[in-house]
This record gives sequence, C-alpha cells and structure tokens, in this order.
Amino acid sequence: MSTLDFPTDANVLVGLATADDAGVYRISDELALIQTVDFFTPIVDDPFDFGRIAAANALSDVYAMGGIPKTAMNIVAYPIKTMGREPLQEMLAGGATMLRQAGAVLLGGHSVEDEELKYGLSVTGFVHPKKILANQGLRPGDCLVLTKPLGTGIINTAIKAGLASAETISTVTELMATLNKVAARVMCDFSVSACTDITGFGLLGHIAEMVSGSGRGVVVESGKVPVLPEAREFGAMGFVPVGAYKNREFRKDMVVLPDAFDPVLRDILFDPQTSGGLLIGCAEKEVPRLLSRLHVEGVKDAAIIGYVIDSVKNTILLK
Amino acid sequence: MSKVIDARGLTCPAPVLLVKDAVEQGKHTEITVLVDNEASRENVTRFFGSRAYAVTESREGTDFRLKALHEQGSNETEETVVMKEHNEESDQKILLLVTTDRFGSGDDELGKKLMINYLKTIKEMGPDLWQIIFVNGGVKLTVESSPVLGELQEYERAGVIILACGTCLEHFGLTSMKKVGSTTNMLDIVTATQLAGKVVTLG
Repeated sequence: MSTLDFPTDANVLVGLATADDAGVYRISDELALIQTVDFFTPIVDDPFDFGRIAAANALSDVYAMGGIPKTAMNIVAYPIKTMGREPLQEMLAGGATMLRQAGAVLLGGHSVEDEELKYGLSVTGFVHPKKILANQGLRPGDCLVLTKPLGTGIINTAIKAGLASAETISTVTELMATLNKVAARVMCDFSVSACTDITGFGLLGHIAEMVSGSGRGVVVESGKVPVLPEAREFGAMGFVPVGAYKNREFRKDMVVLPDAFDPVLRDILFDPQTSGGLLIGCAEKEVPRLLSRLHVEGVKDAAIIGYVIDSVKNTILLK
Repeated sequence: MSKVIDARGLTCPAPVLLVKDAVEQGKHTEITVLVDNEASRENVTRFFGSRAYAVTESREGTDFRLKALHEQGSNETEETVVMKEHNEESDQKILLLVTTDRFGSGDDELGKKLMINYLKTIKEMGPDLWQIIFVNGGVKLTVESSPVLGELQEYERAGVIILACGTCLEHFGLTSMKKVGSTTNMLDIVTATQLAGKVVTLG
C-alpha cells in the first residue's frame, strides 16, 4: 500500500504511516476523532457470542488509542437464503450488548448478501489530542503490562478442529468478549507512554511495531507472560494457526531467542489473537500501582511481561 | 503397517486432523505425510512428537515428505490395547451416510417406512458399524419427531459415532431440535469418508 498516494491534511494526527491501531483526526485543540473498522468470519458457532466477540474486537482499537468509543456502524455480509433471519438477529444483538457496555451508540450499518458470513463494526471514539496513546513512544526503563492471557488463535484452531471441550470454548469466548474498557480507563490515571492492543500479529508482532525504528529495544520475560493453559496443550499437539508462522517469519530479524527456547511458547508469543488485551508501556515507578489497580478492578490476568532498554535498538530479546 | 497421507493443498488444522485419526487408529507403525507448506510441516511434526513418533524429513520440490516411525515408548501399551480391542471385534469400519429421510424412490410413504426399518435393523452389523452421518433431508431423522430417535440414541450409547450436518440442520430450521448425535461440518465429513473402511450411502 505504501506506493499509493492517499489524501491527507494537517489535522491527521495518526494516519497510515505508523501502522497504528486506529486513525486520529483533530477537530479542535480539545477534541480529536478516533476511527477504526474491523470485521471477520465466525470463530465460534454461537451467533450471539460471535457478535459479542466481533464488537469487543472492533471497540478495542479505540481503547488502545486512549479514547472512549462513542458511535458505531454495523458491517454485515450474510447468507440470508441459507441461514435465515434468526442467527443474524442474535449476532447483531450480541454486538449491541457490547456497545451498550462500552457506552457507545449504534447509528446504522450496511449489509450485503454473501455466501460466507462476516461481521464487524466501524467505531468512532473521542480523545483529547494531547492524550492520544500511539503504539510508538516507549521510554527506556518503562515496563510493559499485558492485560489478557495469550493463546486464543491456537484455541480457535482447536475449536475449528472439533477438539476443544465445551468448557474451553466457553472460557475463551468470555475472554474474547471482554472489553478492554476497564484496562483503558485505569491506564489513563498513570504515566503511560504507549499502548496497543494485541490482535493479528501476536504479542511479539505488536511489540515489534512499538519498537520498529524507535532506536529502543524490549526485553520480554517469557515466563511472566500470561498464557491460557489449553493453548500450551493444543500448541504442543500442532494446532498452531498459519498466522503464527507468518508472524514469526515476518519478524524473525527483530527477535532474538535464547538457545533451546521452548518452540511451543515461542509460537504462543506469535499467536494471532482475536480481541486480545492491551499492551501498556508504563513508567517503572508507577507500574506496581497500575498493576494492583488493574487487579482490583477485575483485570485479573494483567501482568508485567517485560521492559524497555536502549542498549539494543529495534530488537526484542526473549528471556 | 505403513500408511501414506497426502495433505497437500490442505491448510491447518486439516493435515494434523488426518494424521491424528491415522495415529489413533493404532495400526500404523510407520506413517508418511506429504505437506506443501511450512506451517503444516511444523504442526504435523509437532503432533507426531507429542505421540512418540520420530520424524525424518525430506524435501520434494516445494513439498515436504515427513516419515514418522513409532518409538517403543510408554504410551505404546495403551495404543496397542485400543488397537487389539478394535481388531478382535471388527475388521472394517462402516460409515453410513444417510442423505434423506426415505429409502429409495417410487413411493415416498413406503420409502419412509423402509428407512425406519433399515435403521432399526442396522444393529445386525455389530461392532463394524462405526459412524452414521446424516446430511440434507437425513437430518430430519435426528430430531424430536424422528421415528427412530430411540434406536439412534441407543446406538450412540453403544459407541457408534452419530453426526448431523450443521448447515443442513440450519437450512431446515432444525438446529435447536436435534436430539441425538453431534453437529458436524464438511471437513469432518470428508475426513470420515476418507478414513472409513466402507461407506454405505443411503439416498
């Protein structure tokens, strides 16, 4: 896409150049708009749950920019002839539930008939132009906090293969349908330098975006990264999605692994996530308080997973 | 015994599922798998590792040939027992593919009666009967009003795998009315027809 010339103007605060979670446009010195869109094919069978997950995933980009979601539009591709109306209504009801939780409103949407179901939303949020949290901006000494466990890509592959138990499906569904709202609200009270949400590129892919070209490096303490236990089990059995391999191949020059690093854990760190958690860069002296606030407010899996250094540049060191 | 699985053209998780079924049949000490992409190569190799198979790998153009030999390990006993159990009782796995709720053409009322009678009689196949998959109009036999519901539930309790096509249930608006078996998809159906010793299609 980099060869194409897209229109822009001086009010574009975050645009295409930095591969950020969402775009940001200044309205005034007090207000900027965050805009994002995401949609995908079903990852769970239940239409209501799928609707919840798709909406939580779309809303997440606004939270990752430090903003508050305000309005949304549905995007639907739907096989009405073969599936009938009922699943469509359930799916949209699932999406509406999450918008209500987020405090956002639905203004409309657009649907087309398609053989394969797809659903998502375009979401618009508000942020103060001086409080935008881009994915770049990490300072040496900052700690990195991850707010949800990893492994949804591997578990979704096992679900597709029909091997995941009902209990596992339910655990991972609730995890993916959990908004990043609380984590986003809590982080605004602390000295946060950068934030992103973990989605298709996996944890290491998104950290790579945070340090790429920044002149800084990140040390990931892999033993501290929260991981769904079932992801280890299914990862060891070879249910790793193609996306994890692509992510690893794409960023192999930026990631330094110790000898004999567990290949299953490595793939989990590259596992593409659906509606993953926030990854927050926070000043070291404030991070214990940030972590305890997150735990108190119910973000129970939040953990410090690494820190920023300037002795190596544009590199991720795994420990 | 050895077996060759051609998983080229398939994407994850399909190759691992084919290998998993072959491993769990328990009768192959040597399994060769052909794959055409890096993700499948790693996933299949890893799966073999988790089941105590040693893998040697060779390249064939852009494809990979993975040859797996079972190591004499601790889970050998368990797999051998399963294998013997199966072999003592039955030599072939019969998959019954039921594509309609009536048997044959000519008279639909007669066809429905014949189907009921057939499904009540298949217990005579004994342990050879492995799976019954209901597709298209066949899924009507898995719901509350099915005249053979009791029999099918009994087969399922006895260990016969019963599956109903999810797309078909949805098409007839019967998804919430299914009373026996699990819902399945085309990948499972394709894999099952490939693994079966004999496929009997009723339509």
